Amino acid sequence: MDLDFFSKALVIGLTEHAPLVLAAIGFSLLYRLTGLINVAYSETITLGAYFGMWLNTTFNLNFYAVLLPAGLMAGLVSVGTYFAIFRPAKRRNVGNLELIIISFGLSILLRHALQFVFGYPVRFFDVPPPHTIFVLGVGVGTFRLLAVASVAVLALALYWFIQRSSFGLQIRALASDEDLAQASGIRPLFVTVLIWFIAGIAGGMAGAFYGVGSSVAPLLGWRQFLFIFLVVVVGGRKGLGGVIVTGVLTGIGLAAMTLQFGQVLYAQLALIVAFVVLLKWRSKRTAETVKV
Amino acid sequence: MNLDWLHAFLISGLFSVVVIVGLGLLLHLQLGLTRIANFGVVGFFGIGMYSFGVLFTKVDWPFGDLWAFLISLAFGTLVAGIAGLLIGWLIADLDEDGVLVGTLGFATAVFILATTEQDLTGGALGLGGLKFPYDIGSVKANEFLWLVIVSIVVALILLYVQRIHRTPYGRLLIAIGANEPLARSLGKATFRNKIWLFAVGSAGMGLIGALFGVMKRFLSPESLGIDVTLAAMVALVIGGTARVWGAVVGGFLVIGFFDIVVQSYLPLPKEWYGQAIPNLKQIVFGGVLIMVLLFRPLGILGDMRRDKLMRRVHGE
Amino acid sequence: MVSETQTATLTRPQIHVQNAVKSFNGRVVVKIDDLVLGDQPIEGLIGPNGAGKTTLMRMIMHSTSLDTGTISFRNESVGDVVLSDLPTHWMAPHGVVKSNQVIMDFDKLTILDSMLLSVSQAKYEHPHRIFDEKTVYNSSIEHIHEYMEFFELGDPYRFAGSAGEKKLLDIIRCLLLQPRFLLLDEPTAGLPEEVTSKVVEIVRELATAGTAIVIVEHDLNVIWNLCDEVHFMAEGSVVLHGSPEEIRQHKTVVEKYLGEGHV
Repeated sequence: MDLDFFSKALVIGLTEHAPLVLAAIGFSLLYRLTGLINVAYSETITLGAYFGMWLNTTFNLNFYAVLLPAGLMAGLVSVGTYFAIFRPAKRRNVGNLELIIISFGLSILLRHALQFVFGYPVRFFDVPPPHTIFVLGVGVGTFRLLAVASVAVLALALYWFIQRSSFGLQIRALASDEDLAQASGIRPLFVTVLIWFIAGIAGGMAGAFYGVGSSVAPLLGWRQFLFIFLVVVVGGRKGLGGVIVTGVLTGIGLAAMTLQFGQVLYAQLALIVAFVVLLKWRSKRTAETVKV
Repeated sequence: MNLDWLHAFLISGLFSVVVIVGLGLLLHLQLGLTRIANFGVVGFFGIGMYSFGVLFTKVDWPFGDLWAFLISLAFGTLVAGIAGLLIGWLIADLDEDGVLVGTLGFATAVFILATTEQDLTGGALGLGGLKFPYDIGSVKANEFLWLVIVSIVVALILLYVQRIHRTPYGRLLIAIGANEPLARSLGKATFRNKIWLFAVGSAGMGLIGALFGVMKRFLSPESLGIDVTLAAMVALVIGGTARVWGAVVGGFLVIGFFDIVVQSYLPLPKEWYGQAIPNLKQIVFGGVLIMVLLFRPLGILGDMRRDKLMRRVHGE
Repeated sequence: MVSETQTATLTRPQIHVQNAVKSFNGRVVVKIDDLVLGDQPIEGLIGPNGAGKTTLMRMIMHSTSLDTGTISFRNESVGDVVLSDLPTHWMAPHGVVKSNQVIMDFDKLTILDSMLLSVSQAKYEHPHRIFDEKTVYNSSIEHIHEYMEFFELGDPYRFAGSAGEKKLLDIIRCLLLQPRFLLLDEPTAGLPEEVTSKVVEIVRELATAGTAIVIVEHDLNVIWNLCDEVHFMAEGSVVLHGSPEEIRQHKTVVEKYLGEGHV
């Protein structure tokens, strides 16, 4: 192992897995602020890729032009699922466990509906091959650099939005105590919709980046879901910052292990094992049964 | 044996119903009683299937086929049980998010290993060479006999699950599901019980996986998709998560509808069966899962009736 | 109602709390240098809201971890046991049992189920023990019936209905565990008067038979009537011990807690 290996792992990890960080930010927003483990978030990602591809190929727009609209459309669908399913479920006092299964059902439904509509062949964005820029001696496509930039911008914007703005205050108040927040004049519905919308945009944009980087298929989001979830569960305790740091480290780790093992599946396997063991270790350290 | 009356599709349709009912019954112990959402059903199913298949086909057995078969079957069950012990230990004291990550991660790990370890599993190309431990004539007759054998195994699982409801152990599982901290304060080792529950349930799922592999006669990572977990969950949720017969009712209703009625008896255009129907099936599964949990969370059969059951069990 | 083994006990078990500290988010909730519970048969633990009574109880059960310090169980038959090193589910086997302040129930279990769960031994609760219901039922049903009749619970094959019934069931579950050291966290809150007096009766009976009992209670009449010793807790520490008479006349207690004219 030499310097070359590290710089390679660093650059590939940061650029190739930037969408992972973006998606993890969106997922953790939903998870931390509404308490929902939304398995169907993987389809928000997939939808972003499909919307981007559709806008791109139908209206002949270039990738830069479709990125944000694809995110916005995914955000709208995300809000739609909230109104159609998760809000009625909350009102019916459906339990946490059942909510996870409901979101799992929604994930399956959307995934196969996409397959139904778009058929089997894998789709591609119709874009000219991106320019390659050399960073630390490693060639990187411009789309991937854009992904890194988007992650950075979005992360900063969200951080500012949640920690500094008045909406952010409302969001945090709602997350800590819904009744109290409501009593103090916060509009929970508006704030909740906002969270779903932002999370959807982040997921959709991540999907568009995944799609333009390789191909667009119904399983695109689902293939990433476990890793997004791992990043959020492991890093989420320390807030948004923890998610971003864990996401970036995961990306670099995946890239390094892929280079080392020569097989991406081994890298994923090592990652799953490492994270689950980490979770176990952490739960042992903070073993404290509350209640009773 | 004259089996002309029996449609070949009916055998395979019934077989998938029986397999899913078996998985649903075991899932019922975990999800319905103890309220642990195991999203890795297919992982335990798969590890049993592959452990069995690899041992059976790769070892040069010095004795007859039947013994080799039975030993491999026991091995597959054991490996799945040990995997269940390990995963159970990992997730016993984690929250819902940890359980989801752990079980889903395990299923993914099994899929990855089945794909990468080509020397053992044949990788994406698959593993052939599995066969029934008997030969009574035509393929159809052999498959029919296998259907009967697997049905007996699943019926035994049903009996076991039914017994569990009538034992102190089942009572403890329900207590853990309803209020784990309270059960702990009464001196119940809830973590240890969850771990063993996972070991037993997983061993059963592994056994079913191995039996399934024999019928397919060819193992490939494609059969390790999330749709197995989904089907077991849908069957259980529709029938009733809390009830013994939930997975049976749900399995015959939903899996039966698609794999038997739609597959063989509806006059649908041939080209639909390739992609449209399987897709539609998954869409319906997803939709049904949402609808049932929203509008009738306890499924067709409703909640468990401990009052009536216990009165009967104690003979009053 | 009270079993033979308990009557045979000569010395009462004790719980010894040493240097135990618990804080939440930097705020010290419990800080006890040295406290022995169980000197007297029935002891009361009183104090204003937020004094840390419930937290202390939970620390004893180790359902809340300690920041520092130890809590140990002194008991003639097995010697000293450091409770604060053991997981929660080892408390009941050692005879240390606590009833809950808030209503706790197993929704899907009937009243009888709940009681059978409590009495069932761990050796019967394994995946392969599938024919043991009768054994557990037969060995404990008499004991259970005594409680059912004493508290006039009626049909055991039904679910606990009212909040009071659930609270009572919680206490009965504890009694069925045959505790050597029983902690009761506001046992009479939410119970009808006639049930309260029955609980008091049973508690007295248990104490006579050798079980040490500690009661946290807001209904001070219960405390004055029942307890042989009272600990007064304020701001996380036990500031006073004494007989009920001493405590109810003590100036600090009167000022801080009871208020003038309450006595």
